[in-house]
Amino acid sequence: MNYLTTTSERLNETIYEYDHPAGLKVFYVRKPGYNKKTAMFGTNYGSTDNVFKVPGRDDEIVVPDGIAHFLEHKLFEQEDGNMLDKFSRLGASPNAFTSFNQTVYFFSCTDLFEENFRMLLDYVQNPWLTDENVEKEKGIIGQEIMMYQDNADWRVFFNLLDCLYVNHPVKLEIAGSLESISKINKELLYDCYNTFYTPSNMVVTAVADLEPEKVFSITDNMIKFKDKGKVEKRYPDEPEKLNREYKEQRLAVSMPLFNMGIKDNVKAEGYELLKRRAALSVVLYHAMGRSSELYEKLYSERLINDSFRCEVSLNTGYGYLVWGGQSPDPEKTASIISETLKKTASEGIGEEAFNRIRRSQEGLFIRSLNSVENIAREMLDSYFIGTGLFDEVKVFEELDAGYVDKVAREVLDNPSALSVIKPL
Amino acid sequence: MGSQAGKTTAEKLAVKNGITFYRINSDKFKTARADLFFIDDLVKERSSANALIPMIIKRGCAKYPSVRELEKKLEELYGADIDGSVVKKGEMQFIGFHMSHISDRYTDGEPLFNECCDLLMCMLENPMTEEGGFKKSLFSQERDNLVDYIRSRVNDKMRYSLSRCLEEMCEGEPFAIPEDGTEEDALLLTPQNTLEIFEQMVSSYPAYAYISGQVDDRSIQRFIDGFLARDRANVKKVDLRCGSKDVKQVKKVEEKMDVSQGKLCMGFRTHVEPASEDYYPLVVYNGILGGDVHSKLFMNVREKASLAYYAQSVLEKYKGLMIIMSGIESENRSKAEEIILKQVEAMKQGDFTKEDLEAAQKSLETGLKSMQDSQGGIVDFFLSQHLTESGEDFDSMIEKLKSVTADDVVRVAQNVQLDTIYFLKPDGRRQEGTI
Repeated sequence: MNYLTTTSERLNETIYEYDHPAGLKVFYVRKPGYNKKTAMFGTNYGSTDNVFKVPGRDDEIVVPDGIAHFLEHKLFEQEDGNMLDKFSRLGASPNAFTSFNQTVYFFSCTDLFEENFRMLLDYVQNPWLTDENVEKEKGIIGQEIMMYQDNADWRVFFNLLDCLYVNHPVKLEIAGSLESISKINKELLYDCYNTFYTPSNMVVTAVADLEPEKVFSITDNMIKFKDKGKVEKRYPDEPEKLNREYKEQRLAVSMPLFNMGIKDNVKAEGYELLKRRAALSVVLYHAMGRSSELYEKLYSERLINDSFRCEVSLNTGYGYLVWGGQSPDPEKTASIISETLKKTASEGIGEEAFNRIRRSQEGLFIRSLNSVENIAREMLDSYFIGTGLFDEVKVFEELDAGYVDKVAREVLDNPSALSVIKPL
Repeated sequence: MGSQAGKTTAEKLAVKNGITFYRINSDKFKTARADLFFIDDLVKERSSANALIPMIIKRGCAKYPSVRELEKKLEELYGADIDGSVVKKGEMQFIGFHMSHISDRYTDGEPLFNECCDLLMCMLENPMTEEGGFKKSLFSQERDNLVDYIRSRVNDKMRYSLSRCLEEMCEGEPFAIPEDGTEEDALLLTPQNTLEIFEQMVSSYPAYAYISGQVDDRSIQRFIDGFLARDRANVKKVDLRCGSKDVKQVKKVEEKMDVSQGKLCMGFRTHVEPASEDYYPLVVYNGILGGDVHSKLFMNVREKASLAYYAQSVLEKYKGLMIIMSGIESENRSKAEEIILKQVEAMKQGDFTKEDLEAAQKSLETGLKSMQDSQGGIVDFFLSQHLTESGEDFDSMIEKLKSVTADDVVRVAQNVQLDTIYFLKPDGRRQEGTI
């Protein structure tokens, strides 16, 4: 078998990469001494992919919100039973998730990896949808949606996305609404499946303590579906401006909760995107991480507590910086943060802080390689944005303070939005 | 130091001043860590202080008197981590202090273990104090944070309903005290009485220390030698028994709130002590009933009746409880309760297949094998074994679970008694499907 081997001395890890003739990429990392084995089968298709062309048809279709997630639920059901049950009877723990731009099916196990891996590759290629089983799922997903409606952390975040984005579907709930899922039917689900579940739009990643040939030969035998051609999907144009500056909701919480954010509309891809993301992470931690003057000030004035977090999310087509937590006075906190961000952008980071934060970010990445699930997930994520797992550390090695300052000036002056959940 | 290839073991290194030191033998990880746990009985007088202590300790020490300086130092140490936590297990509180850092292999040879351990020790030996108490400003800030944290329990409706169910079920028993104590008790704390309890913790709570990762013997010895150089002659004993209570009448509690989804929590008494041999059949019992996606609850409540997104059962080992949880629509409540109780009854009748039993056992085996791929998981496992003095390691535990028979499961099923039904009920103000 022909496969590529790339080793990182720095990380003490090796990636094996195989090209399946159908156009599917397979990435594998061997973890000696680990009991746990995992495999993921993912498609570059998520809640934001609502407008697209179905292969073999000329017109573009618009599908109901939440359909990617609905399809994820339905793939578990097969003619001869539920996949969740079948995996767990082999001692494996199966699951799946749908994000803004991915749907990923996976399992982890300690024994019988080959049998489980075959099952994973098989069921994702073979949907079994009936009018009856589609209807049945609406009750379960309806309860999932209602669970999220009561989740303040979730609500505060989606309300922020609604503030940040005018048109982009990243603002939509991943599971949709009770109303939108009521419009989902078997035919629409097949349209989605036939468009996005095609080898060139998918990837398989695995982490185990096995010979790479074993993993690749199973893929070779099990991948039966043919490529349906390039996926043609479309996103609306997103203006620079915010949709709104502020959104408030009341829920049964003990004290106000806020999320604040800025969007970054730059169209970066591949390694450039990764580099920009790394720079923004460094600058955000510098501005408001636990070692920052701002964090110390807000904490000592009791405007934030231990729940405060910040995060950068930069993807092909959309990007945002988000931070927040509990605060007795979100408006006051937000205005202090806004001022400081402007100051951070104009002053620059400085070599000492840059080196310190870069080092700590590198450390966090190395730490994440303790987990087989993280490695499988990182390989999948990086493939979909057009980079590789090892680029995650390379990017920090190549970063410099000058570039960080440049990106900070481009992004931190953008207008920020505030989302607040207040107690009843 | 000897270790069998492929086997995860905890090797006892020393017992000093009532602290037992263990080394976890496993060098596949990219991080090294040290974990220490102080254990106390769960009592009203100390529960809030025990919860507050790690919060104060995390804020710095004499050498790094502010979070900012401490965090800068940790960033320089390649993102090393120092953390504190409190958890409730049965009628005990575990006050944990944790340190972890990436291994020297990834730091261009810069050794971090000693420096990180010194930081951890500085926080325990030289916390920030004044006038016979914790530093006032620091204390009042963290006490306020603790009160906020206690109040914010309500934010997570799943966790809230679970904690309310346990509180109602064990009313009058120590277990009713939440893991962070109560607001009322937190407000009684002062810098002085909290420091006093801190001193008690350091000098008299039973303690366990675990070191894992690639750490050389000399550094380990240095850690042990330098550890808490104070007198710990009077280490107390904690009571492990779960205090089994017979149920006279099922308690029903309903609480209304402005929420979309109702949360049903049903609390059961299992009458199985944590150190008893019946614990293993009980774990398998729980696996068949509601521990995984093959379980009776998942299959019947979710997959067949489409009533819920989640329906599961969990065990509280040290109090001998089992809780069944599900998120449902208010109008489906009696239907859900009926289906759940039918599954509990089916377990008593032995109405499960050989495949159900084997699936539960396999899933538990996978869980225990997987746990060995997480340093925190390994520590958690051994701490539990050391506490119950079970003498088990991962392999022998797996064997014990595998040897459980259907008859054993049915035997423990007979003693499972419904105690409390708690329902967090939507008050109807929130219309379905709107926000």
